Amino acid sequence: MTPSPGPPPDAGSETPLVDEPMTHQELDELFADPPGLWGQLTGVQNDKIGARLLFTGFFFLLLGGSFDSVLMRLQLSFPQSDLVSPQLYNELFTNHGTVTMFLVILPIFEGFAILLLPLLLGTRELPFPRLGAFAYWTLLFGGLLYYSSALFQLVPDAGWFAYTPLSGPDFSPDLAMDFWVLGLGVAEVGAIAAALEIIIGVLKMRAPGMTLSRMPLFAWAVLVMAFMILFAFTPLIIGSLLLELDRGFGTQFFDPEQGGSSLLWQHLFWIFGHPEVYIQSIPAAGVVSMVIPAFTRRRIVGYTWLVAATVAIGFLSFGLWAHHMFTVGLAPIILSFFAAASMAVAIPTGVQVFAWLATIWSGRPVWRTPFFFVVGFLVIFVIGGITGVMVAAPPFDMQAHDSQFVVAHLHYVLIGGVAFPIFAGVYYWFPKFSGKLLDERLGRWNFWLLFIGVNVAFFPMHIVGLLGMPRRVYTYDPGQGWDIYNQISTVGVLAFIVPGIAVFVWNLVRSLRRGEPAGPNPWGADTLEWAVPSPPPEHGWSVLPIVRSRHPVWDQDDLHAGDERLERFVRGLAGWPLRWRAAVIVGTADARPQEVFRVADPSIWPLVAGGGLLLIFLGELTKLRWGIAIGALALLGAAIAWNWPVEAPMTEEEEDAFEQEHGVPVNAGGSVVVAAWGMGLGVLFLGIAFASLLLAYFYLRLENPAWPPPGLAEPGVTRALAAAALVVASGSAARFGLRRLASGDRPGLVLGLVGALGAGGTAIAVQVADLVHLDIGWTTHAYGSIFSTLSGFVVLVTGGALIMTAMVLYWSLRGLYTARRHAALSNVATFWTATQVIWVVGFATLYLGPALT
Amino acid sequence: MTLAAAGGSFDPQGPAARSMAELWWLMLVLGIAVFAFFAVLLAGGLLRRRRADADADAESMSGRRFTRWVVGGGVVMPVVVLVVVFAATVEAMRDVPARVPDGALVVDIVGHQWWWEVRYPGEGVTTANVLHLPVGRPVALQLTSADVIHSFWVPALGGKLDLLPDGTNTLVLQADQAGEHRSNCAEFCGLQHAEMGLLVVAEAPDRFAAWIAGQREPAAEPVAATARRGQELFAGAGCASCHTVQGTRATGAGGPDLTHVASRPSIGAGVVPNTTADLAAWVEDPHTVKEGVGMPASKLSAEDLDAVVAYLETLR
Repeated sequence: MTPSPGPPPDAGSETPLVDEPMTHQELDELFADPPGLWGQLTGVQNDKIGARLLFTGFFFLLLGGSFDSVLMRLQLSFPQSDLVSPQLYNELFTNHGTVTMFLVILPIFEGFAILLLPLLLGTRELPFPRLGAFAYWTLLFGGLLYYSSALFQLVPDAGWFAYTPLSGPDFSPDLAMDFWVLGLGVAEVGAIAAALEIIIGVLKMRAPGMTLSRMPLFAWAVLVMAFMILFAFTPLIIGSLLLELDRGFGTQFFDPEQGGSSLLWQHLFWIFGHPEVYIQSIPAAGVVSMVIPAFTRRRIVGYTWLVAATVAIGFLSFGLWAHHMFTVGLAPIILSFFAAASMAVAIPTGVQVFAWLATIWSGRPVWRTPFFFVVGFLVIFVIGGITGVMVAAPPFDMQAHDSQFVVAHLHYVLIGGVAFPIFAGVYYWFPKFSGKLLDERLGRWNFWLLFIGVNVAFFPMHIVGLLGMPRRVYTYDPGQGWDIYNQISTVGVLAFIVPGIAVFVWNLVRSLRRGEPAGPNPWGADTLEWAVPSPPPEHGWSVLPIVRSRHPVWDQDDLHAGDERLERFVRGLAGWPLRWRAAVIVGTADARPQEVFRVADPSIWPLVAGGGLLLIFLGELTKLRWGIAIGALALLGAAIAWNWPVEAPMTEEEEDAFEQEHGVPVNAGGSVVVAAWGMGLGVLFLGIAFASLLLAYFYLRLENPAWPPPGLAEPGVTRALAAAALVVASGSAARFGLRRLASGDRPGLVLGLVGALGAGGTAIAVQVADLVHLDIGWTTHAYGSIFSTLSGFVVLVTGGALIMTAMVLYWSLRGLYTARRHAALSNVATFWTATQVIWVVGFATLYLGPALT
Repeated sequence: MTLAAAGGSFDPQGPAARSMAELWWLMLVLGIAVFAFFAVLLAGGLLRRRRADADADAESMSGRRFTRWVVGGGVVMPVVVLVVVFAATVEAMRDVPARVPDGALVVDIVGHQWWWEVRYPGEGVTTANVLHLPVGRPVALQLTSADVIHSFWVPALGGKLDLLPDGTNTLVLQADQAGEHRSNCAEFCGLQHAEMGLLVVAEAPDRFAAWIAGQREPAAEPVAATARRGQELFAGAGCASCHTVQGTRATGAGGPDLTHVASRPSIGAGVVPNTTADLAAWVEDPHTVKEGVGMPASKLSAEDLDAVVAYLETLR
């Protein structure tokens, strides 16, 4: 019955070749990072960043995720075993969950995205190469900061979920949980930075003609993933901030004795934590949707349905966090709502599974390793999905929750549903970036060892969980019928999974050295990345492709042919200009070229900014608070230097000439479109953070019958009203200045910016004076804690607006902006609008909140 | 079912656990059916013979065949299954009482790192790490915590519910048969989460009443000289600042009530049996038995230790 391995598909014989014009070499050098160590530190090239993220993710997995699971399985093989001490066991499972959820799967998929997207989408770079570099440095620094806890024997031990009050200052008084909060905090910032890069890259930087409906499903998947990261990690950052304030500054957010709430953390954590599962499984499904067509030689069935399912899962995943809290004592009506929402996820998932099944059914399977992993994925993922529906039913979940049953369920979902597609993706795309095929025979061993291992290791946990074995226990008593199931699980890990991983590592090492050469399209696949040579040149595309199909490599004889104007444009761009890194922005839906812009060069500032961020968190960890100030200054300085305007390599007249010839505007000074999108998403990020703080405010408000607590008066509104009026005025002044510039009135611009600075600065002074006057105090009661924190957030945002205003004022005085080139000014005006809203809503909540009943 | 013999939630012994188990078996049958359906389609798609000359376009999917797959398999089938599962879920939720039924026995359970305080407020009884229940009568467990979040779970009797430091959760259970159940904290609560055991004893109403009556008695006055000396040491060595022994000067709070400690089957929340040797080891230095507990090592001489243990063993 075992299907014989099919012959390798006709290796690239039908693949249309990409044009390699004379400029190929020059473009390659232009997009390459500088050589040597300096190049490693300043590099921004997407291949480099993507590969680093992937490698670092695997490295963190091997460093922690795998070693600790082996020790845990050994410990649980026999009841009352004392191989591992209780303390060490708690550290092991905390580390295992933390590392896999924060430092492994996420960077691996962000790495896949950053590495692949330019080739897959037919563009030369991603929009913010420096932001990509920053994302990498922060992930690395955050991961190392987290792991460094081991050097001080302060390994976090309160679980990857860090429930308060156990993780709070009273029950985890040493610095272990600070390593957890702060190390992950740095990495979370990096995750969001990479997400912004991915969102704008997918939406704005595609080949001409690659409309949204022709976009590869992997790009759709990482787009949804990146939006979810933005919406999920931001509340987590706010939650972590509150926890660290409790731990380091004596606030009372999570202390029930002082008006805090033990469950507030769980809400904030699971608003992140549940989407996090889909943040991992959605890109995995995206990989599956790429691999199946390549190995069944058929177009994917139900493309639109798959896109809709991906988006639907993304939305739904934010409405079911409370199913992690079915046993905290929620009202039955809330249980029913979250149960229904959780079960509903089965519908888009069902659509995905049956679209894949239909594609397999209609095609001809080619049995190569990536396809094996995809078939294994389907089997294990469907089992994990079925148990997922079971635990969505509250009465059953009251039995299964926090038992080994859930451990089984989540490993079916995360190993079957996420790790298997990662392996499929590595076997699939490794040849593209190394030029070598991975060994097929070792691939089979790799697959079968893992497939058998996962089932042997995790299936018995379903049973032992329902027999009553809780999770996160370092040992158990004999005589409960649990021993045999635990022993089978251990065998699964030691005899199958560990050798399976070893075979994988060996295959990578061996194939890098003496793998078969791959050629551009070893699988005969359909998407753009397979048209360029393996490994691809630094700039990816000399002549940009013109996409006319969802499967360009299968359907197009010539990747550069199309609409005559487009052809002229892409060929013109290939030969010109060769002095700077030009990339193309396209319309979000129609993919018509909108703008040619200059992509940022390599720079040391992302590294300095990452270092500054690390210093801030390190200062808090070591309680050397001056370190926070130095870090903040370094971060601010690096951010300014990073964004320092570079002289445009073309005059406005030359830009006009190009536009007349090719019909596409050029912004050699820097993109207008991408910058506006960047600011838009930045404002969205602030908005989500702000909304999370408001959620915390209203949650605490509802938990506390006395608000403010006895002894405190309700705040008077006079000064706050004056401050709010000043902020509204300063935003208007900034926008006034922008309008004056449009009509060529430079003094008017300067006047507007000076006005914004003056009014905004005064507003902060008035507001801070009122806070000092109110003297609420953040350590006595949760009321004061949230009052101070929310105020601090709003003032900080406004401070950011003032710094940006000062920068653009400086550049205005130096005559940088013209009626045409003033993207930075427009962005500052946008930021002011957001600041006005945040200020007014924030202080209205704080000053009027006590009056709400 | 062979699994039922193994116990846990496979072997329900009360109405709440029974309706949960019924829901589980229903979902298991449906789940197996869905998986089998999927597996047949997958195997067919992978292994079926294909005509060698089949044209690509003829096999690609469109129109009604497509609808049958993606809409039929991906939408209609899950919706039908989910409607059944959700209806069964709502039905099962009704069997988990949200309110305290009339005539229920009220028991307060307070979670501590890492032991259970069990109080019968109507009966004036306080004990630790053992919960006696009368068979056939609903019991309302009022759950709360003195420190971090814990979770109460007896798989054979019903689902779990958390013990929070802020607020009280009520779990209504009923045991239909006499029997003993081992229970362990089900929410990670720190170092000794794994050794936070509770013995649940469901017994006939008359036996339960007898147990309550015994527990209501104040501690017996020790007779033997060693035990009397032990009582004095207990009061003087600091034991009494955390432990209460009803009817004596020991009225401390924070540690378990020891009025009838000798009647309990185990010590340290189930970590070791309640034998003389284990008790002595515990009193001497509980951290050698259960690392990290709140009780400090006593600095007693061997002789004094024997006296204290002798006294504790009189507290039947």
